[in-house]
Amino acid sequence: MEVDPHQDREAQAAKVSGPPAESDPPADTLATSLCLLGNHMFPDPVATNACTSINSSEPASLQPSDVSAEDPGPDARPPPDLGAESVTQDSDCQSDAPAHPAGRGTEDAGGAQSDSGEFVVTMLAKAKLEEQGIGVKGRSSPLLEAGIPEPPSFTSHRDEDVTADSWRRHRKHVFVLSEAGKPIYSRYGSEEALSSTMGVMMALVSFVQSGDNIIRSVYSEEHTVVFLQKGPLVLVCVSNSRQSEQQLRGELLYVYYQIVSMLTQASISRIFEHKKNYDLRRLLAGSEKILDGLLNLVDSDPSFLLAAVHCLPLASSLRDSLSQILQKAITPNLVFSILIAKNQLLTIVQEKTVIEDARLAPADVHLLLNLIGASSAFQAGEIWTPICLPLFNPDCYFYAYISYLDPPECTVCLLLLSTDKEAFYAVAECKRKIEEAMVAQNSLSLIAKAQSYSVSQVGVSDLRHFMYKPFDVPDNHRQLTQFTSPEMEAPYSSEEEKMRLLDLYRYMHSRIHSTSRPLKLIYHVAERETLLAWVTSKFELYTCFSPLVTKTCAITAITKLLRWIKKEEDRLFIRYPPKYSTTPNPSKSSKSSRSDQQDATDNGFLSLL
Amino acid sequence: MPDVSKMKKPDVKLVLLGDMNVGKTSLLHRYMERKFKDTISTVGGAFFLKQWGPYHISIWDTAGREQFHGLGSMYCRGAAAVILTYDVTNWQSLAELEERFLSLTDTANHDCIYALVGNKADLTDPKAHLCQDSGVLPEDRRTECEEERTEPQVLSTCPTPPASPASLSGLLLHKQVAREDAVALYGRILRYKGLDEKSSLPADKMCFETSAKTGYNVDALFETLFDLVLPSILRKRHEDQASPTVDLEDCREGSGKRVRASCC
Repeated sequence: MEVDPHQDREAQAAKVSGPPAESDPPADTLATSLCLLGNHMFPDPVATNACTSINSSEPASLQPSDVSAEDPGPDARPPPDLGAESVTQDSDCQSDAPAHPAGRGTEDAGGAQSDSGEFVVTMLAKAKLEEQGIGVKGRSSPLLEAGIPEPPSFTSHRDEDVTADSWRRHRKHVFVLSEAGKPIYSRYGSEEALSSTMGVMMALVSFVQSGDNIIRSVYSEEHTVVFLQKGPLVLVCVSNSRQSEQQLRGELLYVYYQIVSMLTQASISRIFEHKKNYDLRRLLAGSEKILDGLLNLVDSDPSFLLAAVHCLPLASSLRDSLSQILQKAITPNLVFSILIAKNQLLTIVQEKTVIEDARLAPADVHLLLNLIGASSAFQAGEIWTPICLPLFNPDCYFYAYISYLDPPECTVCLLLLSTDKEAFYAVAECKRKIEEAMVAQNSLSLIAKAQSYSVSQVGVSDLRHFMYKPFDVPDNHRQLTQFTSPEMEAPYSSEEEKMRLLDLYRYMHSRIHSTSRPLKLIYHVAERETLLAWVTSKFELYTCFSPLVTKTCAITAITKLLRWIKKEEDRLFIRYPPKYSTTPNPSKSSKSSRSDQQDATDNGFLSLL
Repeated sequence: MPDVSKMKKPDVKLVLLGDMNVGKTSLLHRYMERKFKDTISTVGGAFFLKQWGPYHISIWDTAGREQFHGLGSMYCRGAAAVILTYDVTNWQSLAELEERFLSLTDTANHDCIYALVGNKADLTDPKAHLCQDSGVLPEDRRTECEEERTEPQVLSTCPTPPASPASLSGLLLHKQVAREDAVALYGRILRYKGLDEKSSLPADKMCFETSAKTGYNVDALFETLFDLVLPSILRKRHEDQASPTVDLEDCREGSGKRVRASCC
């Protein structure tokens, strides 16, 4: 176990661990590729035209040279979250820089990494300018345009002027495009207005690809650009949030999975095999809100960072009785029954053979929770919709029955997943049974009383907040990965402060999970608080203390905290997810699947679908 | 699928189909809740139960998005009435009905009735602004935009803000779909279904122009349909009692019983 007592030591260590010379070549390669790209993509006349035409309409401020000059301006504030460590952070980034094989870095080694990064940002901005001249006219097809008229309520942030400074200053941009360079999604600004920006991104990807390589990231002083290729889709994140590349890539993966959850991986590949330049927005139209919601959640909910599910604390007796209600209301082909309150998990019951073969991944639960949370469309009527759980099986649909149990408040939501497309009426009948039983046991009013807890209940002074994620231990290996965390209270009550604390946690997380130099224990004295992160074989823990705590105090506090969690674990976690058996097919007995668990994992289940 | 006995077993099924953003959810919401609100894109299909006298009518409000196309025939299975909805300010939304949605109704009842509904009439028609459920169809503004209708390109000039308050101030949008177009489509639907125009419900009765925003014609639409599907309910109950009586309409269709079995 390694203890870093002071950030200076940490800084030093990070610098030592990052061999500076080796991280340069890829950057140079990139810079060069960008130059080449410039020539390929924007034959001089076009590029000049684009710039000049814009210059005339909106002077000075839009010149590409200004773009890079401007960037440090508004963004130059020292990263507020990292206290004294902003410098360390930078050198860290370098040490984690893309691990391209160094062989390609033969070009002149003059350009510093940050220059090339800034150049990318400039290039992207330039492409955006060109947009204004060409992109608007070059709409794909008027027919298509007519097919998807977007009402204003959906499009507020999509109307954003993508040439404006405010657009450029967003903390985190996310773009999704097809391999043909067609825009599919942009978090801010309309995809049409960004089509040539995305063209440049695709050009970067394919240029590096042509050298039998894969582009992973570009670093500049202010921004980190992370690329993720998944099948025919390319996802790009441009962030100035100072998160690690790994974390950003993880977030892009969530975006990809959310898209898969709506369309399935198989149909995405099939579509693009069939027609390379298909406009996937045709299929995703109306789902932008779900992706927007996901990205907001990723920024504000640590579940995604920890890849664990946060369940609502509930007396174990109540949770058990709810589980039993779900357990009794079954119908053939029902595989998951999930009860959600206030966008947190109450309980989850799984089909026996399913839980034996594969467990529900936290990410799949996150996607489901986001789907329900992001859309008020579920608040009326009973919904029946196909949904794919990408980590469970990326190629098949489940059919989800979604209904709130307490209209019009709509806080308690029932989610029933079936493999049978036609089972709506049978599944709806399960809901009536569940509803009746819950009325009989007065469950709804008991659930309404349930709430998250305050850190003061732990009874450890100086402890302000924590996140505790126990790891699987062998005997409950098939369980859902969960974590527990109290409400964020003062001084973390405002949105800004919450975000600041989360950023600190993200930073600690990135150090713990650093690929080049993972740490087990970090004691981090920040400007306004002291944090301690600790990972063992049994748990991962992040704690936040008041700034004046001593190291000894913090260690004692953590011992007390762990003891408290142990005492409360029945309430804080779903301990033994119950099961039921609804599979009508006797050939798929649990015995046969146990004998060859390894290869039966998905195939066995596919036969059910 | 097991036939489950329900407390409120729906007697008849009605399905709303149509391209996205034509206002299917808003229409239903206007009818059920008596108000208009901003809705957000429907996911999958939403199931509602409506009490109509002694009968339970189940209504499926479906998503118009292509993403959910695959489930369309499931929602339509055994339907007694299908409301095909388009947006009067959007020619493409009418064309989509024929291209994308008509085939979904193959699983509906053989004696299913079809209504064609042009929503957002308040955007093009001053009458629809004010008259609440007058039931009188606007006659005056039909012809003037006829010449535009085959040119989808003009759509880009039309901002179509369905919930925009601007329309109340008398700012009228271009009407792209005339009633005649809907009537013509209704005829084609009957032909597609192999129904005889003379013995089917007349287009005049089954083509509506509505406004979910002002409530114009909305009650008339739903109540006309409910009244029309009542025979279907009665016949169904009749059949359930295993009556030997021969139904003339069933005979005409020939394959009448095929879609009946699976749904409620």
